[in-house]
Amino acid sequence: MEKKLLKKDKLSGIVKKMAADRTVYAPVQDEDNVLFKILEPGMEPLVAFANTKNAPKKVFFPHSELLVKYTRSPKGMVFSAMPEEAKEVVLFGVRPCDARSFALLDMLFDQEKWKDPYYIEKRKKSAVISLACVQPPYASCFCTSVDGSPTSTQGADILITDLGESYLVEFVTPKGEALASYFGEATAADAGAEAKKKEIAEKSAAAIQSKIPGRAIKPILDVSFEHPFWDTIAGKCLACGTCTYMCPTCHCFDISDEMKGDDGVRIRNWDSCMFPLFTKETSGHNPRTSQKQRWRQRLMHKFKYYVDNFDAIACVGCGRCVMSCPVNIDIRKIVTDISKL
Amino acid sequence: MQKPLQQIVAENPYVPMPVEIIKIITEVETKDIKTFRLAFVNKEDEERFKYIPGQFAELSIFGKGESPIGIASSPTQKGYIEFTVQKAGVVTSSLHEMEEGTLMGVRGPLGNSWPLEFLEGKNIVIVGGGFAFTTLRSLINYMIFEENRKRFGKITVVYGARSPGLLLYKDELEAWAKRGDIDLNVTVDKGDATWKGREGFVPTVCKEVAPSKENAVTVICGPPIMIRFTLPVFFDLGFSKENIITSLEMRMKCGIGKCGRCNVGSKYVCKDGPVFSLAELDKLTKEY
Repeated sequence: MEKKLLKKDKLSGIVKKMAADRTVYAPVQDEDNVLFKILEPGMEPLVAFANTKNAPKKVFFPHSELLVKYTRSPKGMVFSAMPEEAKEVVLFGVRPCDARSFALLDMLFDQEKWKDPYYIEKRKKSAVISLACVQPPYASCFCTSVDGSPTSTQGADILITDLGESYLVEFVTPKGEALASYFGEATAADAGAEAKKKEIAEKSAAAIQSKIPGRAIKPILDVSFEHPFWDTIAGKCLACGTCTYMCPTCHCFDISDEMKGDDGVRIRNWDSCMFPLFTKETSGHNPRTSQKQRWRQRLMHKFKYYVDNFDAIACVGCGRCVMSCPVNIDIRKIVTDISKL
Repeated sequence: MQKPLQQIVAENPYVPMPVEIIKIITEVETKDIKTFRLAFVNKEDEERFKYIPGQFAELSIFGKGESPIGIASSPTQKGYIEFTVQKAGVVTSSLHEMEEGTLMGVRGPLGNSWPLEFLEGKNIVIVGGGFAFTTLRSLINYMIFEENRKRFGKITVVYGARSPGLLLYKDELEAWAKRGDIDLNVTVDKGDATWKGREGFVPTVCKEVAPSKENAVTVICGPPIMIRFTLPVFFDLGFSKENIITSLEMRMKCGIGKCGRCNVGSKYVCKDGPVFSLAELDKLTKEY
């Protein structure tokens, strides 16, 4: 893996140069929020920020996405067109937890048997530039408890670490190396830089105070589907679905049709296991009628089902759900409580 | 340049293959269950749609949506596929309004299937109730197909409906009854003036027919209440949970294990099911 040192004042220019050549998503200030958005001319990509309020999964798995277009014919509705091909995209400033979410989503959308061409095409045509967390951005961060780290390269094509005087730029994958020409002003990294990075990585990981028994609860979940504990977790849940919309790994979706005149589209939209209608059948039967069941589904999906199917926890420890829940339901506490069952 | 549709459907499991409704059969006197016979518009798609009894497909009506429906025809029937559909929601109601000659779409085949390799060489007991007879009919027609019949042992069928007018596939039931190689037991909860057949609930008839457990597998589909009262009959007859096979239904969208709504525990009914043995279901959570 090639490693380079870059003067800190050069980075913004490099990102803007990339944005002139292709679509670049980057963290930008938007009123009170830092949002992950397309970098337009005149916008400044942030490098010193905690994390974006919205998860970057939307680049590969948009809130609302066109699947197929159709039109009326004399014999009924027929196919008319596919969505336009995905463009080449760079995602700059992705935190390592969010970059890991791509690796986790790849397991589902790029499975051997059933492949999701919409996700895969966008993913293939993208490069992810991660910004390591030299210090954990929030007290609620818990990436180290779910197989991650503040300097993880999983899901990243380039990892940039702030060494204080300069940036260490690590080209992790061939897709990352393909962007090396933009970093022409960077110089070869020496052993000192590597040692510094290692020191920062250890310090940052150690600074993460919030710990949960991420993997340890799996054997407990295997046998506690009917445990009375589940009755205690969802009493105050409003079923608003905010946790699932903020989550970088939640991937449930709905497919629906919309018509205007003789033309229509079939689209998919983010959906949420927190909603009663999510599993409600035409007959009226609903396998998950209570919020308790729906919360159990969400937790089981992340900490048991995904582990069963992909040997990975479907949580990256970003803490967005913890910070955004309107009634302060804290997945960290639930996981910790489960470990004591 | 857009790729031809045949190539798109080969690469993209979300894009339905175009089919034409070539025949519509109203199955029941209440007229709310119809069988739709569909022919592929592109011959390549017919080749691609290689299915096994027990699988399902997403019936796709652009502008309305999609509905997952079990395949009612047998792969031994060439040139078309059939789906027996009850009028219930937006998509199925729209389908029921359609006429022969209309174009629509199909995505599939989806899901696992009846475990044909496991069933081969065994005596097969088919138990069906009401409208849930569709993929069982596919299996029966597959097994009695000339070249296949010798691969299966004795075939016993218990099929029940609430009334004679609600029995599906009446012509086929008559044809099967004339064959010497199926023990066919058709029953209705309550007969009418013209009904000369059996009366009685499916569990009771199963008890009377009392199929032997020796080298036998029961394949059962029906309303939950029928399943609940029929299973004990087969347990009493000595059938193990490994040898009782059923099919689950859940709300579905994608049909390929991505959209996240049809899981029972770690399994997705759309891609790991819909067919499970009772032994397999015992290992899953009871959330369906």
